[in-house]
Amino acid sequence: MSDELNAPVQLSARHLTRHYVTRTPGRLRNAARLVRAVDDVSLDLVKGHVTAVVGESGSGKSVLARMLARIVKPTSGELILEGTHIPARAKRTLEYASKVQLVLQDPYASTNPVHRVRHSLERPLAIHGAARADLDALAKAALTRVSLEPPERFLERYPHELSGGQLQRVSIARALCVEPNVLLADEPISMLDVSVRLGILNLLRGLCDNEHLAVLYITHDIASARYLADEIVVMYAGQIVERSRGTALVDAPTHPYTQLLIASVPDPTDPTSAALRSESHPTFDVAQVGCRFAPRCPSAMDVCRTSDPPDFQVGDGHVSHCWLHADKPEAVVEMALPERRREGEPTKR
Amino acid sequence: MTDPLPVREGPEPDDVAIDASVAHANPEFVLEVKDFCVDYGVGAQMVRAVNEVSFDLRRSSVLGVAGESGSGKSTLVYAMTRLLRAPGVISGGSATLNITGDDGTDVTPVDLVRANEKQLRKVRWSHVSIVIQSALSALNPVLRIGREFDEVLKTHRPEMKKVERRERAVALLGMVGLDADRLDRYPHELSGGQRQRIMIALALALDPELVIMDEPTTALDVVTQREIINQLYELRTRFGFAMIFITHDLSLLVELADEIAVMYAGQIVERARATELYDAPRHPYTLGLLNSFPPLHGARRELTGIPGSPPDLSDLPAGCNFASRCPFVMDRCRREEPPLMALGTSERRVACWLHASDAESPVPVELSRLPRTNNDAAPSEGVAS
Repeated sequence: MSDELNAPVQLSARHLTRHYVTRTPGRLRNAARLVRAVDDVSLDLVKGHVTAVVGESGSGKSVLARMLARIVKPTSGELILEGTHIPARAKRTLEYASKVQLVLQDPYASTNPVHRVRHSLERPLAIHGAARADLDALAKAALTRVSLEPPERFLERYPHELSGGQLQRVSIARALCVEPNVLLADEPISMLDVSVRLGILNLLRGLCDNEHLAVLYITHDIASARYLADEIVVMYAGQIVERSRGTALVDAPTHPYTQLLIASVPDPTDPTSAALRSESHPTFDVAQVGCRFAPRCPSAMDVCRTSDPPDFQVGDGHVSHCWLHADKPEAVVEMALPERRREGEPTKR
Repeated sequence: MTDPLPVREGPEPDDVAIDASVAHANPEFVLEVKDFCVDYGVGAQMVRAVNEVSFDLRRSSVLGVAGESGSGKSTLVYAMTRLLRAPGVISGGSATLNITGDDGTDVTPVDLVRANEKQLRKVRWSHVSIVIQSALSALNPVLRIGREFDEVLKTHRPEMKKVERRERAVALLGMVGLDADRLDRYPHELSGGQRQRIMIALALALDPELVIMDEPTTALDVVTQREIINQLYELRTRFGFAMIFITHDLSLLVELADEIAVMYAGQIVERARATELYDAPRHPYTLGLLNSFPPLHGARRELTGIPGSPPDLSDLPAGCNFASRCPFVMDRCRREEPPLMALGTSERRVACWLHASDAESPVPVELSRLPRTNNDAAPSEGVAS
């Protein structure tokens, strides 16, 4: 790890793509259909930063997280972990797993119900080569890191004896106990109770600020992304449609899909949004040609139906994948990545 | 399978005739719930999940019920509709449904708590229907959607012919914005949003007076949720059914509900008109719930939510159940349990000693905000298009 102030990139994804071939039995017998679950996504996870990926179900955000954890193999594209290029077809190694850890949505499904918390924490430690004598102390330290105190109280519990929030903390502790540099959190709060969600979000923020982890936060809740993230990425049908540093994307959305997402959030303080909200988008057709959002887009133009837009720069570190912003031709960005961050940019609000 | 609603329930109370059970019926209200209590288990292990809950629901109005998991909000409605399974037992109170006859004038009160299986069968679906959170488990995976509609109509409207039933099903699907071809699909062929729409269409199949929605949109993403909420709002305006809408998302309720009841540890701790509750919460728990959602606007600041976790229902503290998590806790809160008291002359109710007439200390500023006066964002205007 180099200079702390420089906020080095821990994990990069370059042109990550995952396609699936599906066959619908019955109708159109055996007609294969290509589902582009994730298509040409590039992303940097930076030390001490939270990158939020927002999208509705089916947008490919979970597949992206699994590719970053190398549980799902990309169809093409590559990962760069701390400067080391990892080709798409390479096998997942233990070393990679010790650097990049994934936390899943439902803690009750991702912990073994017949084993105590101790087992869930000590097993990864043992696999990653911790000495047997240290296991207990390391497991306790991991629980303390996620504010489950005193740790002795939780080690001997079974998952069903803990609340959803506590168990999600255990699964974060399990991810942390192998000392990763990158934490991928796939919808970590959506299964949890409202009152404990903020606790988990604040925990992630703390891990980022105090322990300088690079965090990927996947969510469908754009308000929580705004609360937590240093960079927000919106995905639609496998593509990144808008990305911004800070909260620019939520405060001034430029892509019609982001606008739709924000307008859909219940917000009693905003009477003006009622008109926008009543627009119904009953179809979930993903265009095979042109912009993927065009069939649902209220401002779709002819060009949208024929060619996929490039990324247009709409602000400082703010990129929109939409033809509406084509009037600023100088703004076309070569690759969908914001430039390197300014040095010493504060991560704390 | 003629009835997709689960019909198993707790021990059967004695059979009581419908009309004898309740003497008075106020036709203004579709549902009157009084001192309703639900226990899980009996004897030493008994846990009271719903504790003396009372409320009235006006015809065609929407009551939102909010609270954390374990606050008893789902138990309340499942017990009320007698869908609660053992070890859940209704241990007290009444839930009176004032049903209108076919001619639309005659109002008959039915105490759901004391109704027998036969009476319940008459009331269910025709007068009260329910939409549950998980549409995938509510729809039979091996039946086509059309069959679900067909079965309910066949059972409750035996006079309808096959063609009429099909027509009705198509009309119902149209109401929720789905094409008729969905009738020939299986549940797994539909998206989560479509399945939930089908649940809503099914719930409305017999034109009930009361529809209960138990977190119908929690499993869906925001865009689909928005579409379904808009649809519900439209349908309610069109057909005038009353609704009980359960969710943990208070801001969603503010847009949809006329009145909101906030539940905590099995009790209603605050009840108010939706906008008033949102703008000017009076109970510290309501305030905590409202502060648990990061805002979309304004400066980013650290939020804390509600510290601690809900109390263990088998070991409730003396005094106020919320005392251990409350930022404004006083000595009195740990000694005496606050009743649900009226706030001044208004219809608002709050169970908090801070608002007692003989309160020792002034009400904290967070809990004494005034509600908005303009009606811009009143729920009726909020979602209408």
